[in-house]
Amino acid sequence: MLAYISRRLGQNLVTLFLIVTLAFFLVQAQPGDYTSVYAQDPKLPPEVRAQIQANFGLDKPLGEQYLVHLRNSFTGNFGVSFGHYPRTVMEVIVERLPRTAVLFLTATVISFYIGFVQGKTMAWRRGGFLEYTMTISGATLSTVFTPWYALMMIWLFAFQMGWFPLGKFLDPLLWREAPVSADFIFNRMLVTGGAFGGFVLLVMLAWQRAGARGLRSAVIPGLPAAAWWLPVVLIGAVVIPVAWALSGVGSLAWDIVKHMVLPIATLTSISFAGTMLLTRNSMLETLREDFVMAARAKGLPERVVRDKHAARNALLPVVTSLVYSLAFAIDGSVIIESIFSWPGLGLTLLQAVRGQDLPLVMAAFVFIGIFALMAHLVADVLYAYLDPRIRYS
Amino acid sequence: MSRGVFLIRPLVFLGGLMALFTLVACTTEVIKEVEREVPVDRIVEKEVPVEKIVEKEVIKEVVREVPVSSTTAAAASSTASGPQVYQLGIFEDLTTTNFWSYLGPDTTIWNSYVLGGGKPSLYGLSVQRFDWIPSAAADFPTALAEETIGGETLWATEVDLKEGIMWSDGNEVTAEDWVFTAHTVRDLQLTGNWSSIVDNDFFDHAEAVGPHKLKVYFKKKPGLSRWQFGLAYLPMISSAYWSPIVEQAKQQSDIVEQQKVLYGHVPENEPSAGGFLFGKWEKGAFVENGKNPGHFFSDVTTTHFANGSYAESKPGSYDFSAYGDPTGDKSLEYTTGPFVESAIYSIHGNQETAVLALKKGDIDFMLNPLGLQRGLQEQLVGERGLTNLENPSNGFRYLGFNFRKPPMDNKAFRHAVATLIDKEFLSRTVLQGVALPMYTTVPEGNGFWYNPDVPLIGKGLTRAERNAEVVRILKDAGFTWEQEPVVSANGTVEEEGKGLRLPNGDPMPELEILSPSPGYDPLRSTFAIWIERWLNDIGVPAKARLTDFNVIVEKIKDPEGFDIWILGWRLSTFPDYLEAFFHSSHAEGDGLNRGGYSNPEFDELADALLVETDLNAARDQVFKMQEFLADDLPYVVLFTTPILETYRSDRLEFPYTSTLSGLQGASGLPGTVSIK
Repeated sequence: MLAYISRRLGQNLVTLFLIVTLAFFLVQAQPGDYTSVYAQDPKLPPEVRAQIQANFGLDKPLGEQYLVHLRNSFTGNFGVSFGHYPRTVMEVIVERLPRTAVLFLTATVISFYIGFVQGKTMAWRRGGFLEYTMTISGATLSTVFTPWYALMMIWLFAFQMGWFPLGKFLDPLLWREAPVSADFIFNRMLVTGGAFGGFVLLVMLAWQRAGARGLRSAVIPGLPAAAWWLPVVLIGAVVIPVAWALSGVGSLAWDIVKHMVLPIATLTSISFAGTMLLTRNSMLETLREDFVMAARAKGLPERVVRDKHAARNALLPVVTSLVYSLAFAIDGSVIIESIFSWPGLGLTLLQAVRGQDLPLVMAAFVFIGIFALMAHLVADVLYAYLDPRIRYS
Repeated sequence: MSRGVFLIRPLVFLGGLMALFTLVACTTEVIKEVEREVPVDRIVEKEVPVEKIVEKEVIKEVVREVPVSSTTAAAASSTASGPQVYQLGIFEDLTTTNFWSYLGPDTTIWNSYVLGGGKPSLYGLSVQRFDWIPSAAADFPTALAEETIGGETLWATEVDLKEGIMWSDGNEVTAEDWVFTAHTVRDLQLTGNWSSIVDNDFFDHAEAVGPHKLKVYFKKKPGLSRWQFGLAYLPMISSAYWSPIVEQAKQQSDIVEQQKVLYGHVPENEPSAGGFLFGKWEKGAFVENGKNPGHFFSDVTTTHFANGSYAESKPGSYDFSAYGDPTGDKSLEYTTGPFVESAIYSIHGNQETAVLALKKGDIDFMLNPLGLQRGLQEQLVGERGLTNLENPSNGFRYLGFNFRKPPMDNKAFRHAVATLIDKEFLSRTVLQGVALPMYTTVPEGNGFWYNPDVPLIGKGLTRAERNAEVVRILKDAGFTWEQEPVVSANGTVEEEGKGLRLPNGDPMPELEILSPSPGYDPLRSTFAIWIERWLNDIGVPAKARLTDFNVIVEKIKDPEGFDIWILGWRLSTFPDYLEAFFHSSHAEGDGLNRGGYSNPEFDELADALLVETDLNAARDQVFKMQEFLADDLPYVVLFTTPILETYRSDRLEFPYTSTLSGLQGASGLPGTVSIK
């Protein structure tokens, strides 16, 4: 396995080199450069224009500029952003990343959960009204013109009904006097989310092991098997909200959560169908396996056969798909970020491309490339972990 | 049971969603009449004008012209109740809070909306006629005079500063601040807009003769564009706050590193002398500027008189008047605030949601250099509490001739083309008010510099009259036809002209009209197609070539590579762009005189304008230049586009709403708006 991973890492480096090269020349193919805005100003003497170009390193030959950017990309020093001069590219990215991560990771996890649950149910009840309805609904939502759909969601739920805020990620009137920045809250929301996710996994794992060793009934006789969610609910619904409320910035976090609902609902509704159909197909194949028949023959309850025997084995392609989606979730979405006025990495990349902010564009592409390549690697490794039959040589 | 509920829920949700969409979409809205205002006085407010001439971007929207109404003057004092927060929508985040950087490498319109106006300048422009008026200066500067210093002959002028203008840190704004700012720009060789303001070819140095007396030295005699409409606009930056940073910057080895230190400083509690103090920047979300309680110009009453005079008065402090006797009818009177606690600029990702926010009352006004899309503004017609505005933009789209090639080198031909183009018909009938017809190289809205006596060629003629006039012009100039065009009484061309020949007997060559394609600008392409048709009607074999903007820009760099082209300009208030566009010295290389227009008399005027120091003399020169251009016609100015805006009139009261480039051109008037 180690040899395989090493080989894949080497391949990824070559691919990354190609990504960086392609990105550089694509940006360069645009007419003009970042200083073009000054070119039409008749009051600006040519020598001043030349100096502005020199300040940004745009006076150097293309080959030299390429080598500089190549070196920067592989050393992680992307230099100074033209559009946010003289802030470094990393400062800009670090500022935007948490906002994108909070929104898109949440939406990705929720859409995968809904898609997975719906998919396995559809496969279990194949040919029924539910399957047809959900397939049509899911396909419709996933193929709907996203800008229109997102605007309709805002218009309906935020403007007409007033249930949610109208875009943005916070209410300026509330945040005028805020003692902390939004990034402070976003970072702590990420930490909270990560810690809670880890806690859920730990509880599930501990519960499973305790059950396997017969400890659960030994401690509390008659405890139902599904009782593992009690501590999860306790922490998720009581401890975390109380802790945030006592932190003094709970109202600010709640404001962000309120602003997240509509974009997450939009993202989820347009993206869960992919997971749903993938799970359904995977489940249908799994249901034909002998071990499912054996489980039924043993007289196990339908729900146990579906969830513990069939769904777990159908999970493999879904998990790998989730890994890819999580990686790309970091990049955000230009359309969603633009329509919901959610300034994350996607919008930053778009503005950088439009403004020919070469260092920021390069950094964004390199990050996207690294995340995508790493996701592929992780997915390959996960395959082997989840399915012991898979071996890499 | 529970599983059944689980399965049904998504269906119920989706069904409900669709039902709601259908229900709400079917709801009809009552459309009411809405107040619209268009300019009478063409008012512009710029505290620190930093303008650039750039190729005009296309505004792809449909607009409609509306009747003129009179300018309104709002009550100066606020009778507001509730939160006194002026909420504006903007569409991109700030990129810096560092004022040096804002006018250097981080020049964006969004930075300008938020950061502009916080620093005092010696002089500025009135909001009505673009009168050049003192701001931090107490009066007009002394006349430029030669002085010899250290064996070097310099040109010097003196300026007195108003007393009592305070920085928000409690220090007074003095001549030292101006000297510090100008010398920093010079010494650190700051670029971007700084180098447009402080031209080191002219500026030598400055001295603070006293706290309120400044002396500025020039290497050579500066014209209005370098002094009054250049260096005099220099925003003053607090020397007390910035001196240590500038000193630190100067310790760096080279100029780039020095600039990095200066631009890289993130100001905290930087002193302001404007109406607002920079408050809070929540990146990606909003910026808040809080009211400056020590703003010197608070309660200053400004009056514009119909006779062209201008007056300012601050009770117990100063009175100033200029440009005639300040008596008679008043065209505008307002008092400077701020009358709001703060101005919040919230960032929206797109106009659609910003419009919803405006309708919902989340914002009061939105700032956008291109204004609002027509379709979006039409959605707001009839909305209670909203008022739509329509103002002309300070720019024009034009048709240019290549003077190097016949028949474009023939003045009569150019006049014929100008007469042939029915701008009113195209703007109002074909384009349904999308464009506003325009005739002059200085927009009528630029009141101080606009020459009202310049002939408006072809204005008001019927189609038949145009064709008859064109035939007459060409015949008088020696053009001949094998068959003259036959035009009916209603203007319809019954038979196209054929066999048109130049005065020297050569056949009329086939002409190419370069114009941006409909995808880039449907307005200009529409004009090009109609001009092609009208030229064909009279026998000129013209062909409109609708192509990419960049292709046109490249083609017109080749002196012999084009005939006629259609492009556009965004303009500055001081019309020295006339020199840049039409002086014969700019007809080669990267110069902007692409058509190769050359008129020694015009050149003489243009040269004089660049070194002219007297405002009235410069105005006379600009008037004459406009007359030359209207006669020689290197450009046929075609049209401009309106800036469409909407604001919450149930909450806001502006001192005026008619202004060249719209209220966005005055950054939404945060300093004078009041909340009802």
